[in-house]
Amino acid sequence: MGVLQEYKCPCCDGAIEFDSNLQKMKCPYCDTEFEVETLAAYDDALRSDVDDEMDWESTPAEVLSDGLRAYVCNSCGGEVIGDEQTAATACPYCGNPVVMMEQFAGSLKPDLVIPFKLDKKAAIAALKKHYEGKRLLPRVFKDENHLEEIQGVYVPVWLFDTGAEADVRYKATQVRAWSDSRYNYTQTSYFALSRSGSLQFTRIPVDGSSKMDDTMMESLEPYDPADAVDFQTAYLAGYLADKYDVDADKCIPRANERVKRSTEEAFAATTSGYTSVIPEHSSVRLKHGKTRYALYPVWLLNTKWNGNTYTFAMNGQTGKLAGDLPMDKGIYKKWLFGLTAVVGAVAFGLSYLLWLL
Amino acid sequence: MKKLISIFLVLCLLTALCLAAHAASPLLTDDAQLLTSGEASALEQKLTEISTRQGVDVVIVTVDSTDGEEPMDFADDWFDYNDYRADGILLLVSMETSDWWVSTTGYGITAITDAGLEYISDQFVPYLSDGDFAAAFDTFAELCDEFITQARGGDPYDNHNLPKEPFKWALNVVVALVIGFVVALIATGKMKRKLKTVRQEVKADSYVTPGSLQLTASRDLFLYTQLTKTERPQSSSGSTTHRSSSGTTHGGGGGKF
Repeated sequence: MGVLQEYKCPCCDGAIEFDSNLQKMKCPYCDTEFEVETLAAYDDALRSDVDDEMDWESTPAEVLSDGLRAYVCNSCGGEVIGDEQTAATACPYCGNPVVMMEQFAGSLKPDLVIPFKLDKKAAIAALKKHYEGKRLLPRVFKDENHLEEIQGVYVPVWLFDTGAEADVRYKATQVRAWSDSRYNYTQTSYFALSRSGSLQFTRIPVDGSSKMDDTMMESLEPYDPADAVDFQTAYLAGYLADKYDVDADKCIPRANERVKRSTEEAFAATTSGYTSVIPEHSSVRLKHGKTRYALYPVWLLNTKWNGNTYTFAMNGQTGKLAGDLPMDKGIYKKWLFGLTAVVGAVAFGLSYLLWLL
Repeated sequence: MKKLISIFLVLCLLTALCLAAHAASPLLTDDAQLLTSGEASALEQKLTEISTRQGVDVVIVTVDSTDGEEPMDFADDWFDYNDYRADGILLLVSMETSDWWVSTTGYGITAITDAGLEYISDQFVPYLSDGDFAAAFDTFAELCDEFITQARGGDPYDNHNLPKEPFKWALNVVVALVIGFVVALIATGKMKRKLKTVRQEVKADSYVTPGSLQLTASRDLFLYTQLTKTERPQSSSGSTTHRSSSGTTHGGGGGKF
């Protein structure tokens, strides 16, 4: 292996890409389209092509220092440099999309992929919309903020299927209040509740890439796993992709935390008719089922303003965008003191009116 | 012209003498020396005017000490053993123990109800605490006047018809500003949170297999019950009265300042 994979158009030999709008492969040169169903067969055919070429084309990945690797572009012969995790990128010289096949060999092959549904234009539009309705955003930010880089990235995630078994004890109260002509009565009844049962979770994603910020990745959730399809390298053409560098065992604790929390809340929801319900003891036992390796689509946008870089990410499937924006302290103070004055004046006016009545 | 004026002056003097003759005992006794002579004469004039007009003696007595006597007994006796009308309201201020007591007699009992006295004391006691005695006595005298007038109309001030307390400007401004600041903090906090969209997802609710929640055991066990009862505040109206050592019926009340 150690070679780059390019998808050549059978008609014109141009490098073809996955088109998120058509959900098909499309040749940017002759506009020929290929059905997604043919991708698997096409993939296999290409793989065997590569195997044939192995005999005479000996260009293994050259391992450079600092974990960098060099590949040779099949189209122009230019040097494509990636790091240890890079799995799909574009040639810096001819711009053709390339896929590093060795990153998907054997156990590294992802089980599932959610193909991009939204394109670059949708990401830019979503970012514009992201600025709207933010009163504390510096006014000049929108105009002076330059989009430096926009990339469609397949982020490696681990998907966990988990069964949770739980035993929870609660202390609950019912409060009833009434009164007669002389006394007010309050009756508090105390109960001990216990619940045992199980709950199933499917495909809880945990970020498997150390390059992608875990919190950022969780901000983009939820992804709809119903759209996930069996992995084909052809889906990666035209996008960037990394292979995982955080293994599944290290990701399990994060999934467990979330499962525990959700299980406890689901069980608490089965107690109704009480004034207060306080958990006294809770034991949640998790049984891990299937663990799958998948690639989830993310649009990454980097902008620069006032010398700082702001990173935004958009869910490539649903269009949900996340990214922290700067705050204008002057505007904040104006709002804080302005609102204090206005609300204070209204409250004072009301108190005076009440006194007058 | 000069004659007319002198006749008028003589008449005035005569009237004043007549009035003074009727209320033989002084309406103001400042034994604790709380007022300047100017304040004292102005207050005495006011008390005389109100007492004459209303036919109810409004008396103010300040002493250094009640000599071990209860303020209530001291005030009642002062009114009983001096030469006042059968209707009266007496305010006693005893400096040593910081006591004040209002003793009502005859029509005073009708005019100053328990609720009315609480209202009046809310107005003048703060002045006593501040040491502004002239203002305290002035307020007291004016309120007595107002209450007697109301009672003469047939419906004395009580629980259901107390006059409005004066609007508390400073307190209302401070409270309004605090409310404003809290509301502003909440509102701007909401705006701030809109800027931060990168958040950890603490739950996994979106990944629950639909319908997979199965309860194998579910038990609600009743333990015990607790009943608390509190008395409802009863709103009483009218005046409570007691009998003084001389056998006269008095109303009123008092406290510390």
